Amino acid sequence: MAGNEVPFSDSLKTQANMQQSLPFQNVPKADVSDKQTLLAVLQFLKKNNLKGTEELLKREASIKDDDVRPQTSSQSETDVSHALAAYKSADDPSLFTDYYTDLKTFIESCLDAHKVELSVILYPVFIHMYLEMVYNEHESYAILFFRRFSKEQEDFYQEDLQKLATVTKKEHMKGNELMESFKASKFVIKMSRDSYNHLKRYLQENKMKPLLNIIQEHLFIDVFDGVPRTKQQIDATSGALLGESERDANKVKVFYGLLKEPDINMPLEEEDEPPEGEDKPKKKKPKKDPLMMKKSKNDPHAPAFNRIPLPEMKDQDKMEKITAYREALKRVKVGRDNPPTICFYTVLNSYQGVTSIDMSEDSSLLCAGFADSTIRVFTTSSHKLRSMKTAAELDNIDRDADDVLERMMDDRSATDSKLLTGHSGPVYAARFSRDRKYLVSCSEDGTVRLWSLLTWTNLVCYKGHNHPVWDVEFSPYGHYFVSVGHDRTARLWATDHHVPIRIFSGHLSDMDCVKFHPNSNYIATGSNDRFIRLWDILNGNCVRLFSGHKGSVQALCFSPDGRFLASSGVDSVVLLWDIATGGLMAQMKGHTDTVYSLCFSRDGGVLASGGLDNSVKLWDVIKVLQEVDTDADTSIPSSVHVNDSTGLLIGSWATKATPVLCIHFTRKNLMIASGPAALTEEKSPHKT
Amino acid sequence: MASPVKSSPRDAQVMGAILKEMGVTEYEPRVVNVMLEFVYRYVTDVLEDAKVYCNHANKKSLDAEDIKLAVQCRMDHSFTSPPPRDLLMEISKHKNSQVMPLIKPYTGLRLPPDRYCLSAPNYRMSSHKAVKKHQARIQIGLPQFQQRINLSQMSMTPGGFIISGKLGAGGPHLTVVSKPGMGVPAVTIVTKPSGQQTMTAKPAIRISTGTSLNSLNQNRTFHQVVSTSSSHAGPQHTIQFQPLQSTTTSLITNQSMNPLKRKMEEDYDNPS
Repeated sequence: MAGNEVPFSDSLKTQANMQQSLPFQNVPKADVSDKQTLLAVLQFLKKNNLKGTEELLKREASIKDDDVRPQTSSQSETDVSHALAAYKSADDPSLFTDYYTDLKTFIESCLDAHKVELSVILYPVFIHMYLEMVYNEHESYAILFFRRFSKEQEDFYQEDLQKLATVTKKEHMKGNELMESFKASKFVIKMSRDSYNHLKRYLQENKMKPLLNIIQEHLFIDVFDGVPRTKQQIDATSGALLGESERDANKVKVFYGLLKEPDINMPLEEEDEPPEGEDKPKKKKPKKDPLMMKKSKNDPHAPAFNRIPLPEMKDQDKMEKITAYREALKRVKVGRDNPPTICFYTVLNSYQGVTSIDMSEDSSLLCAGFADSTIRVFTTSSHKLRSMKTAAELDNIDRDADDVLERMMDDRSATDSKLLTGHSGPVYAARFSRDRKYLVSCSEDGTVRLWSLLTWTNLVCYKGHNHPVWDVEFSPYGHYFVSVGHDRTARLWATDHHVPIRIFSGHLSDMDCVKFHPNSNYIATGSNDRFIRLWDILNGNCVRLFSGHKGSVQALCFSPDGRFLASSGVDSVVLLWDIATGGLMAQMKGHTDTVYSLCFSRDGGVLASGGLDNSVKLWDVIKVLQEVDTDADTSIPSSVHVNDSTGLLIGSWATKATPVLCIHFTRKNLMIASGPAALTEEKSPHKT
Repeated sequence: MASPVKSSPRDAQVMGAILKEMGVTEYEPRVVNVMLEFVYRYVTDVLEDAKVYCNHANKKSLDAEDIKLAVQCRMDHSFTSPPPRDLLMEISKHKNSQVMPLIKPYTGLRLPPDRYCLSAPNYRMSSHKAVKKHQARIQIGLPQFQQRINLSQMSMTPGGFIISGKLGAGGPHLTVVSKPGMGVPAVTIVTKPSGQQTMTAKPAIRISTGTSLNSLNQNRTFHQVVSTSSSHAGPQHTIQFQPLQSTTTSLITNQSMNPLKRKMEEDYDNPS
C-alpha cells in the first residue's frame, strides 16, 4: 500500500553511490553476504506488501524475526539494492561504459613507459565489450558505446570497426566472418612483465569482474622480461586482425638456405668430383666465381636435397642451367651508386582489363591475364611463338636429330602472341614454369588450369577451390604449384595429381598472394587478415607468423638467397622480414597507394616495388643488412630495432598513368616492369 | 562519385546512405541502381519463399519465422561462404599427414590420369567414303518397316519425333537406328536445336529427354535420334544416327541400350 512507492525508487537512483558497510561484521564473510541478500529480499517483499511470500521465505530460511529489524529506512533501501545489484546480469550494459572509461583513466595515470603498452589492450577490450552487449541483445547501449569510443581507436583498425558497426543484433553475428574470428581466437598482445603486473594489480583491486572475464577469455598476453616497448616498436608489429604474433609461433627452425645444386659439368667447375668426359668444353678458365663457391659448401641452414621429392634434372634442364650461369657471369652489379636500368612494358588498349602480368625466368616471355577470362602470352625477344606440329607431322620428323626440339615446332604457326582461352571468370594470376613449358593460371571461377606452351592448349583443369582463387605460383624446380583463394586455404598441387597434396589452413581471411621459397620447401602466404605465414610443405605446419602490416598483403618476394622476405600491400609500406627469427627488419615507407609487385635484384642488393601509385621505387637492402644490430636478443621484442630510415630509398621513377603490376630482374640485372595503361577516364578493373 | 541527388527517390537515397556508412565514398552512379535491383530481387525471392513455407505450415499469415527460414535457405543456396575454420583445420590435418607422393622418374609430361585431363578429343570423326545413303542395319521397333531411310527425308518436330516421309503418313512413329559400316567409326556432332520442323541447311541436332515422350505414347519404342541434314558441300564425313536414350527395353534386342553411357568403339562394331 503506502510502503510501495517513493523510498524504494529513490534508493534505486542512489545506487551508484553505495558504499555501505555490512551490518554483521562478526559473521564469516560468505554467510554474511548470503544472509544479507536474504534479508534484502525480505525487505523488498515487505516493502511491496508481499506478506505471504515473506512469511514463507522466513520459514524456509529459518530467519528469526528479530534479525529482520529494519534499520534506518534509507540504509535498508540502499542495502537492498546493493545486494540485488550483485545479482543483476553481470553484463549490465551501463556497467561496460563505466569499466571502459575507468580502464582508460587508469592507463592515462600510468607511467609513460607502461602507457603505450597498456593502451594496446583498449582495442580488443572495446571490441569484446561491444560484442558482449550485442550478444546479450542490449542493442541501443551497444550502439551508444560504439559511437562514443570507436573514433579513439587506432587508424589501422578503423576498417575493421566499420565492418563491426554493421553488427548490431545477435542475428547479425552469425553470418559475419569477422565476428567469428574474434569470438573464436584470442587477440595476442606482447607486453613487458612490469606493465603486465601493473595491469593485473589494477584489475584485481577494483574487482571488475566482466572486464577480467573478457581479458582472460579473449586476450592472450605474451609476457616477456625486458624493457617496455616504445610506441614505434609497437606500431611496427601491430595492425593485424588478431593482434601480433606470439613468440612461440616463430620458434620452429626454418631451413632457409638454398638447396645444394647438383653438380653439372660446367666450364668453371671446381668440384672434387671428376667431371664427365665427353661433353667437357675445350676452354677452361680457372676463374673464381662467388656464385659457384657458395653452392659447393654445405649450408647448415639448407634443407636436405630429398626433404621433399623434387623432379630430377633432365638434360634440357642442365643446358638451361649452363645458359643461366653464363648469363649470370655478365651480370651487372646494381646498388645505390649504380641503379638498374628499367625497361617498361605497357599493355595498351587493354579494354578487357588486365588483372595480372608475369614474366618468365629468362625474360623471354610475358603473359597477361585479363578480366575477360583470357590469357595472352607475348614474346619479348625476336623468337616468335610457335606451336608444336600435329601428330601426323610429328611422325615424319627424325627423332635422333640434334635439333629435334626445333624440328617439332611448326614454323607456320609463328606469331608474336598467343591467346589462351578456357577460364570462365577473370584470370587473377598466370605464371610460367621455370622451363617455360607450362603456364599455370587461376581465376574467379575457382579452377586452376595448366596450359602447355608447346601446343598452346589447356592440359588440365584442377578443381578444388570452390571460391575465387586469387594467386598461383609454380615451384622453382617445377612439378609443384600452389594456389590460394577466397576459401582461406592454400593448396599445394603436383601436376600429376588431380587433387591437392597439401592443404594449408590457418588464416582468418582470404589469402591474397603466395610465393615459393627458392629452395621449394616453404611457401609464404599473405592474407587479408594482415598476417603473413610461412608454411612447411613437408608437414603442412605454419612455421612463421609475421604481423605488422596494417592493410591486406598483396605482394610477397623472397630474396634470392632465401634469408629474407619482403612484403607489401594495401597499406603501401614495404616490410622486410628476417626469416630466421621471424622479426621485422625494415619498414620502407614511400609509396602512396597499394603496392602490387615486389622483386629483389638477382644478387639481392636492391628491392624494387611498384603499385597503384604509378611509380617504381628502389630500396637499398645492403644498407639494411649493414645496419642490422646483430647483438640484439630477438626473443625480447623491445630490443629489436626496426630500420625505417628514409635513407633506404634509392630512387623513385613514375610512369605516366600506368600502375605497375609486375617487376622482374633479368639474369643480367636489367629491370623489367610492366603494367596496363590506364589512360582513359574509365579505370580498368584491379584485383580487389 | 557523387551521392544521390536530392530529387532521387527515397530508396536511392537510402542506398546512398548505406554505401556511405560502409565507407564507400567513390562510386559510379550506376552502382546505386544495380544495388537497388539486387535488393529488390533478393527481397522478393525471400518473400516468395516465405509464402511457400507459410502455406506449407498451414498458417493464416506470414510471420517472422517464415521469413527467417526463407533467409536461411537462401543463404545456404546462393550465398555460400567458405567452410568454417575448424573444418578446414581438420581437413588439412588429415591431408597433411599423408606422405608426399614420390615423383616417377624418367617420365615426359607429368599429368594426372587421362580422365582428369582435358586432352581427350571431344568429338569423333567418321571418315566416310560411301555415298550419303545409309544402310539401316538394325531396326528396332516395328519390324515391318524395313526400308531404307534416306537422310533427306528425315525431319524433326518439336516433340522430338522423327517422322519419316517414306514410311507413310499417319503410320506409327518410327525411329530407326542405322549402323555404320564395319570398322567405320560413327560420329555425333552436337549442336543447338534449330527449332524448325523441316530440314535446314545447317546441321540441326537435338537431344531431348525421354520423359516427355513417355507420356505421349507408351506402346512404341522411341529413340531420340540425332538427325542432321546432309547438305554440306562435299563433306568428308557424314553424321550417323545414334541412339541416345531409350524408353523401353522390351523390343530392343541384344544391346544394353543405356544411351547415357559413353559408347565404346566396340559397341558399334558389335551389334549382337
